[in-house]
Amino acid sequence: MSVGAAVERRVGGSQVRRSAAKYAAVVRTQLAHGLAYPGDLIMRSLTILIFMWVFIHLWRSTYAATGQTSVRGLTLNNTLWYLVLAESITLSKPRVATAIAQAVRDGSVAYQLSKPYSFLGYQAAVTVGDALVRGAVTVLLGGALVAVMVGPPPSMLGWPPAFAAVIAGWLIDFCMATLIGLMAFVVEDVAAFEWIYSKLILVLGGVLLPLDFLPDGFRRVAEALPFAYTTWAPARLFVSPDPALFVRLFGIQLAWLAGLALLVAIVHRQCTARLAVNGG
Amino acid sequence: MAGKRAAMAGEAVTGGALARLWRRVRAAFRSVRVETRFLLALWRVNLLSALEYRTAFISQVVGMMLNNAAFLVFWALFFERFPSVGGWGMPDMLQLFGMTATGFGLGVVLFGNALNLADIIADNGLDAYLALPRPVLLHVLAGKSRLSGWGDIATGVLCFALTADPGAAAWGRYAVAALASMTVFVSFLVVVASLTFGIGGASALSAQAIHAMLAFATYPLTIFDGTAKLMLMTVIPAAFIGAVPAEFVRGYSDRSLLQILAAAGVSLALAVVLFHRGLRRYESGGMAVSAG
Repeated sequence: MSVGAAVERRVGGSQVRRSAAKYAAVVRTQLAHGLAYPGDLIMRSLTILIFMWVFIHLWRSTYAATGQTSVRGLTLNNTLWYLVLAESITLSKPRVATAIAQAVRDGSVAYQLSKPYSFLGYQAAVTVGDALVRGAVTVLLGGALVAVMVGPPPSMLGWPPAFAAVIAGWLIDFCMATLIGLMAFVVEDVAAFEWIYSKLILVLGGVLLPLDFLPDGFRRVAEALPFAYTTWAPARLFVSPDPALFVRLFGIQLAWLAGLALLVAIVHRQCTARLAVNGG
Repeated sequence: MAGKRAAMAGEAVTGGALARLWRRVRAAFRSVRVETRFLLALWRVNLLSALEYRTAFISQVVGMMLNNAAFLVFWALFFERFPSVGGWGMPDMLQLFGMTATGFGLGVVLFGNALNLADIIADNGLDAYLALPRPVLLHVLAGKSRLSGWGDIATGVLCFALTADPGAAAWGRYAVAALASMTVFVSFLVVVASLTFGIGGASALSAQAIHAMLAFATYPLTIFDGTAKLMLMTVIPAAFIGAVPAEFVRGYSDRSLLQILAAAGVSLALAVVLFHRGLRRYESGGMAVSAG
């Protein structure tokens, strides 16, 4: 091993560390920003109580009508805790596509590109930071309601894997939303694409209904698409803390994340090549 | 003689009171006629301005119909696995969803500012309306029309056409129920927004109220227990936006007609009274520039 290669590796390693510290600082800033107005944060998170209250009544009636304690491997308690996490993941994520499209339209993207950080890395860190604050409050509120009205949450052993899957899910969602936002370089208004995407997440992502309850053919299609790994996978892991299931679902999440991140990087490079900045 | 004079004086007094009452009734009718003409003119202007940008109009209508379709897909998938919930099946859900969509759609098309009335009050936006010689509440509510509401109306009509018995009587019931549903929905938003006069910014509360109203109105009433049902008929009158009008459309009954008319009347009266009481506390922010 040459001395030069060792020095190069050390320099490379310290650059990665510096870079990670930079984005971790962005996440921390967003956390502090989110917690600065607790009243506002709680007020915006109250929606989960409305949804969960309706879901508790709906699924109690549904399970009572079937006369079974478990449907497709999910008990009433599992289904409602699944929905707490699925709804929290969806309600807490920021509107990335809108923010990026706005930055492209009003030209502020040029200002952000000149900063000493990656535009996409910065946006991803902001997304995770914002979502973490709101997600925590939303889960606490929704979870408290379900705990009181239905029963305790699933085993705590499943929480760390589920947390990792939630972060991966937000990042997969971030990649898809970024692709939509970057379309603003080509089309003026991306609202329609963002809207279609949100509906796909709603149905194929398992936000309203666990994919396990779908007809088999439909479920297989949904599981083969990335939408399921933004919401269904983390929520399913939360209620079924099984190591084998975690390895399978988290592995698929990482594969989708790698593929989508590569695609985002390529599209971003092509879009910024088209960018013309005038003035100062 | 004295008795006769007293009787004549009494008749004169009664006649005077009747004349005054008649004058008041005539003035009220004239006022209703004038304001109706004003309202129709506002709606016409809103529609013409929507049609000016035809592509945007069509895309919003189609977009909202697809949005609603996503929820109907959810219910179709749900009933595929669970054929009945609280005695409800897919046709009942279509009727419920259709009624809620029609009531909501009519509300945001005809009184589009109801959705952001709390913001208008908090941002001193009423100044522009107070300076004009028209009823403030009516003017501010109808000052804007939301194009996407046409998509909701179209979804509602489609759901009704797919599930209801054909015939003029059914369409008549549908029209009455939709108007009652719209009245309850808009009145509820006015009541919530009127809290802004007292507590300041009620925008977040108003947004949550809209979420709650739509969430509760699009689920079968039979899944809720007694206390929850009572709440959905009083505090958050979602039952009178979806389930009760839908029941009236399914089959005429004096009881359900009385229920939807009473709910519409009471909520409208409450909205008008609370808004005007609140308006007395309103302080101008010097924003009397334009109304729209």
